[in-house]
Amino acid sequence: MSADKIDQRKRRERLVIVGNGMATTRLVEELVARQYDGDIIVLGDEDHPAYNRILLSAVLEGTHPIDALTLRQPEWYAGQGVDLRTGARVLEVERELRDVMLVDGTKIEFDKLVLATGAIPTLPPIRGLVQLDGSLHPKVHAFRSLADCERLIEAVEALPEGSRAVVVGGGLLGLQVARALSVRGVATEVVEGTEHLLSQQVDRRGGTVLKRHLKKLGTEVYTGARAVRLTDEGLKLDNGFSLETDLVVLTAGGRPSTALARRAGLTVRRGVVVGDQLQSIDDDAIFAIGDCAEHDGKVTGFVPPAWEQASLLAAHLTGEDVKYAGSRAVARLRATGLDVAVLGDPEHTEGDVVEVTNPIVGTHRKLVVDGNIIVAGTLIGDLSRIGLITQLFDRRTILADSEPGELLMAERLEADSSILLPDEAEVCACAGVSAGRIRACRTFEEAREKTRATTGCGGCASVVKELIESAKAPV
Amino acid sequence: MSTTTHCPYCSLQCGMRLSRPEGSRTVEVSEWAEFPVNKGAMCRKGFTSAQLLRNPERLTTPLIKDEVTGEYRGVSWDEALDFVGARLADIREEHGADAIGIFGGGGLTNEKSYQLGKFARVAVGTSQIDYNGRWCMSSAANAGIRAFGVDRGLPFPLADIEETDVLVLVGSNMAETMPPAARHLSALREKGGKVIVIDPRKTSTATNADVVLQPVPGSDLALAQSLLHLIIGNCHVDEAYVAERTTGWDAVKASVMAWWPERGERVTGITAPELREVAEILGTAEKVTILTARGAEQQAQGADTVVAWINIALALGMPGKQYAGYGCLTGQGNGQGGREHGQKADQLPGYRMIDDPAAREHVAGVWGIDPATIPGKGRSAYELLDALGQENGPKALLVFGSNIIVSAPNANHVGSRLDALDLLVVCDMVMSETAARADVILPITQWAEESGTMTNLEGRVILRQRAITPPAGVRSDLEIISGLAERLKSPIAFSTDAEEIFGELGRASAGGKADYSGITWDLVAEQKGVFWPAPAGQVNADGTVGTERLFADRFFTPDGRANFIAVEHGGPAEEPDAEFPLYLTTGRVLAQYQSGAQTRRIKDLPDEGAFVELHPMLARRIGVVDGMSVTLETRRGAMVAPVRVTATIRQDTVFVPFHWVGANKLTNDALDPYSRMPEFKVCAARISTAEGAA
Repeated sequence: MSADKIDQRKRRERLVIVGNGMATTRLVEELVARQYDGDIIVLGDEDHPAYNRILLSAVLEGTHPIDALTLRQPEWYAGQGVDLRTGARVLEVERELRDVMLVDGTKIEFDKLVLATGAIPTLPPIRGLVQLDGSLHPKVHAFRSLADCERLIEAVEALPEGSRAVVVGGGLLGLQVARALSVRGVATEVVEGTEHLLSQQVDRRGGTVLKRHLKKLGTEVYTGARAVRLTDEGLKLDNGFSLETDLVVLTAGGRPSTALARRAGLTVRRGVVVGDQLQSIDDDAIFAIGDCAEHDGKVTGFVPPAWEQASLLAAHLTGEDVKYAGSRAVARLRATGLDVAVLGDPEHTEGDVVEVTNPIVGTHRKLVVDGNIIVAGTLIGDLSRIGLITQLFDRRTILADSEPGELLMAERLEADSSILLPDEAEVCACAGVSAGRIRACRTFEEAREKTRATTGCGGCASVVKELIESAKAPV
Repeated sequence: MSTTTHCPYCSLQCGMRLSRPEGSRTVEVSEWAEFPVNKGAMCRKGFTSAQLLRNPERLTTPLIKDEVTGEYRGVSWDEALDFVGARLADIREEHGADAIGIFGGGGLTNEKSYQLGKFARVAVGTSQIDYNGRWCMSSAANAGIRAFGVDRGLPFPLADIEETDVLVLVGSNMAETMPPAARHLSALREKGGKVIVIDPRKTSTATNADVVLQPVPGSDLALAQSLLHLIIGNCHVDEAYVAERTTGWDAVKASVMAWWPERGERVTGITAPELREVAEILGTAEKVTILTARGAEQQAQGADTVVAWINIALALGMPGKQYAGYGCLTGQGNGQGGREHGQKADQLPGYRMIDDPAAREHVAGVWGIDPATIPGKGRSAYELLDALGQENGPKALLVFGSNIIVSAPNANHVGSRLDALDLLVVCDMVMSETAARADVILPITQWAEESGTMTNLEGRVILRQRAITPPAGVRSDLEIISGLAERLKSPIAFSTDAEEIFGELGRASAGGKADYSGITWDLVAEQKGVFWPAPAGQVNADGTVGTERLFADRFFTPDGRANFIAVEHGGPAEEPDAEFPLYLTTGRVLAQYQSGAQTRRIKDLPDEGAFVELHPMLARRIGVVDGMSVTLETRRGAMVAPVRVTATIRQDTVFVPFHWVGANKLTNDALDPYSRMPEFKVCAARISTAEGAA
């Protein structure tokens, strides 16, 4: 190749992705699928390949094996020519130099940088949580990473029978962890600072129905109560109660992991502030997706929006003209015995509210409807229509006025007896035989011979028998 | 005096007897109870099939369309064949052999399929041959080849499904499409087995099921991924089997980790608890049989959808285990045989690939030609039609055994392509919708008027015997092929003797995957069917010939292991949106078969015309009641039909049967990247009435 040809050839773009969680996995998958013409380096600080964080509570519960979490094997990255580095913790982003430095001093240049650093758990202000040497009290656990999950399982398995646990935080994760610990045989209590459970997602009635469910399942819930102090006697609440406990699990929220962005001088409010191409508003070579990003004043803590952002960014990075316009989330509680789905943001979305609450059977169903479109909803205790309702929500289907109400009603049971079939009703589709023609026969064999009913798929045999029996009986 | 033969319709190929009482003009259908596949059972299509034989609409004279008046005039066979031969020769001279396209069918006998492929490659010299089987089971065929190294619809006799513990039907309405097969469902359930039916409609097949899942159309792949996720989560993977008999597991296992049940629920509309229930049933059963059909296969991701279900079967350790495994319920009468003998754009007889030098050499040897003269791969069925009359596309098309106008997707477009041809020749026995557009129509013999073999959904080669004399004036497809070959100055002659052709077909297939070399018509009659592969000289311990069950010891891959293949759900090519908010899916009804060219002409089969099936909730939304006429529209076309309101369909989906002109004006021509199967089963639609739209 001649020298000028080499010059003409553009150097391949280098894309560095910081963080190796679920958003990154999706981003890399999409970039590969779109044949992104550049080099990709993924820097993950955990030692594991990317895993499905959503399954951790099922692992804790014992309903999903811990060795089946990996989303992509390291060999896959290698096969796609993607440079995956695990255990690679980024210390600084140097925007001027266009490089990142790892804790071991390695510097990696980038043309474009994606921050997908996720969120980190926040520690609630409870005295005694952190010991003098700065480490967590041995009874205290966070629940965010695979390592947290492994450590908690180890602790639970080491507990003697009859041990107790307190989960601090009555949000989605808190309830999942509480159920998981109960399923494992640990007597578990939940402490929630606000007035009701899932206060971010559902209204007070919903929270109350949930509280009853948990109580039936043997989990006591303290709402409107804050844990203030952990001592050898137990966890002290601000309402004067003291809960005796062997374990404390903190699930009271996380915050976007934004330290790198902040130090690099990027605008950070709750998350790294990004525009419609998910680029930092200060530097359009730097992007943020997933839990660490803030778009249009919103940060999300769920996987589906993170994946939508990842897909959109992949499209942008491969030259497509796309704009992120926010996501519609459906939050589902993953916990045995608790049925909860939250569509969108039902407590903060404008619209007409159609709701049915039956605390006696423990159901609370609510749809927020705007312009005959379901814009948000809550389903607690009865998910029989979740499949359909989610589709209508996701597709923004325009409904008839009566439909939201109908959707919240129980399905009518269809009971029909062949005795009631009119004579012209078709009984045997294979042979095209009506109930009348069967009734005209005296025996099953006669019906078979004369009409060929039952000789095809045979599915009508029981109806034919019934019809002949009933025709014989005096009416 | 009666003749044993087989039904002219679906891939079950029910055995039947045809007889004509002394002095009667009427041929009667009666049971052939000894035939093992249906044991005498038949549906109304089968036992009214003899009415086809004395149909008043039967064509008995070759017809040539007058270029000026557009009227057909009856001509002699010699005139018709001379005319077609001369026009084809001119077109070939001017534009090259690829300017002649050939379109076959999955209802043609093995002998015709074979001759047609040979005719295209040798007599015409064109690469441009494909057939309507592309729209039938090509996705399953592709998946079977990728996973198992072979495509035999069912790798076991159909009756095996009675002995399994759990039978999963993915997108099959067998109680309507092949009713006698559904007898096995009742038998299985009486023995304590479970049936799981997956279909957006709760069909009559679903009424005989223990579990019915009604997923969002086009989400069958995601459903399989979610189930496999749970099967792994429940530790129900047969690790020993996976280690000994498969490759590729780790990548598949990782690929389904992203399909936790709540995500599956959002995509498929099947609730997480239902997914868990089904995963538990599958994971704890000793024998699981999974069968896919058109519902899962006729999607732009049909091949990968089948792969996803095969992955489940493999993870559970089923393929190769007795009374368990995976299979495809082939649709057309000779759907299986039709894809084995070389009428597919990329294949030569014996299921050999046309770009494989060894395959070309072998087949050229049998044909007595230079392998270099065999053309390469041609276009797939829809791509072939799409190219008609275009600059590099065929100028002439010969159609055998297919009613394209009714059965092709995006039919308005296909119609315009047919009209752009210089010459359209259609071989048919009645004036089908496609024949009615032809420049030349050649009237042919039909099923009971000729002998030939078919290969049913089990890979069982069966013999249709001639029962009556054809009417004067008609000729068999084999005679047409031979006559045209002669006029095109073919370097080799084309036999018209089906049994002789079968012998040659056997030699051509020898050593291939679908090896027929050890099969003779006598053996087929004697054994009531012979399963391929049946290499010459290979005889079973009991003296029979053929291979009833595959995969007991090894798969047909180079290393003998089955391949797990990681796939990913991408969703349908066209999703509902504000403009077209509904899903449209299509399918069949019991009393009709395929394009209806045959069944719509039988007076004892109800021909009620197309209808639009929809849910009461949707009916209320758009303000219609049962029987009211609506306009159903997609981005490609529109049709008007009465509605049928039923609670057995999903609220967001409408269903239209495709036996009549209409449904396929609406369907999407997005193609599967592997199989080139069009996405018949899902697209976005809207309904309007005089009053409004939804």
